[in-house]
Amino acid sequence: MQPARCLRLARALPRVHRLARCINTQPSDNSSKPGPRTTSFGFRTVPEDEKESLVKNVFDSVASSYDLMNDASSLGVHRLWKDTFVSTLRPGRKGPLRCIDVAGGTGDIALRILDHAREKYADRETTVEVVDINGQMLKEGFRRFKKTMYHNTPQISFHEANAQELPPSQFTDNTYDLYTIAFGIRNCTSIPDALKEAYRVLKPGGTFACLEFSRVNNPLFSLAYDQYSFTMIPLMGTILAGDRASYQYLVESIRKFPPQPEFANMIRDAGFTTGKDVDGGAWTDLWGGIACIHTAVKV
Amino acid sequence: MAANSSTRLLKLALPLVSEHGFTRAALARSVLHLPTPHAEPLSDTAVSALFGRGDLARKTLIRAWLDDGVESMKNAPGVGTSVKDALHARLAYNEPVLAHLPEAFALLAAPESGIPPIDPVPALKHAARIADEACYVSGDQSLRLSWYTKRATLTGIYSAAELHQLTSPQTAHSFLDSLLSTSTTIDSSVEEVKLFSSYIFRSWAGIIRSQGVL
Repeated sequence: MQPARCLRLARALPRVHRLARCINTQPSDNSSKPGPRTTSFGFRTVPEDEKESLVKNVFDSVASSYDLMNDASSLGVHRLWKDTFVSTLRPGRKGPLRCIDVAGGTGDIALRILDHAREKYADRETTVEVVDINGQMLKEGFRRFKKTMYHNTPQISFHEANAQELPPSQFTDNTYDLYTIAFGIRNCTSIPDALKEAYRVLKPGGTFACLEFSRVNNPLFSLAYDQYSFTMIPLMGTILAGDRASYQYLVESIRKFPPQPEFANMIRDAGFTTGKDVDGGAWTDLWGGIACIHTAVKV
Repeated sequence: MAANSSTRLLKLALPLVSEHGFTRAALARSVLHLPTPHAEPLSDTAVSALFGRGDLARKTLIRAWLDDGVESMKNAPGVGTSVKDALHARLAYNEPVLAHLPEAFALLAAPESGIPPIDPVPALKHAARIADEACYVSGDQSLRLSWYTKRATLTGIYSAAELHQLTSPQTAHSFLDSLLSTSTTIDSSVEEVKLFSSYIFRSWAGIIRSQGVL
């Protein structure tokens, strides 16, 4: 049974099938090993140059069924989180904003920002530039925007670029009022680099907002959550998307992401100013910390 | 906290309270007073990102102002000797923003969920902290029950003086003095009553013992 399944996976995803291995709960110690710089890819440690292509493979393979799987694995809750995320930012309340939505391939956040500004504040001048490293995801987003009134307007544009090195010619310094990144920063090879780029492109007084899976602090809830995510999500990935490995990666990468205070520190290290290190200050926990909104300002 | 904490901006916003009140505008303008000032105030989104949404941002500012008030009792020149000086210094700290205080206290007392209709806890905490700080700066050594009674008395006195200050700022300081002197009179009378009753008790105990009952 096992070899047959591996074979099928290997056929479907020649470069990702290696992930289908069991979970290694002992993260290896990077510092003790000489050799190339490494980073985490789920629970595996991989050379830094490799992570980008590995992540790209994951998202290439999930792009078409991405929204379906998000709905299935979070039982639709990711929509609520994204709604909360955007309504916290209140785009358009005090005049139009120039926004950049990084890792926003399918346009979830961009569409919400534009809708919020239009419906609440009759603002049709807010613009969103969607940036993603993955062309497949951007294509999904573009297709989706064709169904809306924003298609072919200056309000929306799509760019293929790496969050860690946004080309300075296209994304100039001190340009944007709002930088959003939802469920994306986790997949960057180097989070500090991505934060530095965010700091660079934001105007002074601009807001950085990040929606990301985070650490559940209640031990009982955390136990149930772990059970659910390590058994149900890869299983649903198999059934609905025919792709267990990619979803195993998603679950593992969530566990490897730094907890709230640590990430808040990383944000400050990039030069941002944040609120106090408590829930409701530098970050806001959603659903007990399953997801978390980090906000910061370039002062 | 690190240099990149919002605390720095809150400190800059405090002097703006007398002009702009405890508002998001005061917070937004804090960046105009940085060493390298911004050209324009912070955007609404940025204020929410740093200090909280809507009225939460105002609450953050009020709390920072209250914290600063407690600090001012410690650092005010010529203070550090008596409870009286400390409380006077705290009342003086209120003076520049007196016009905005009722609204600020109302906001603190307004609960987030709507139940109960008025939340008295922040007001009590506010006065209790000031009483405790006054005891601390005066080097109060009282122990056990008197530790509590002293702080409870001062909490009551300060609350009354502050309420008085809201309606009649000129007479607040003399009112505080009169309350403090009344309380010392009450204190000493209570002490005397205690002493006297202990004499009575002991003499009765002696009488009973001499009768051979015990």
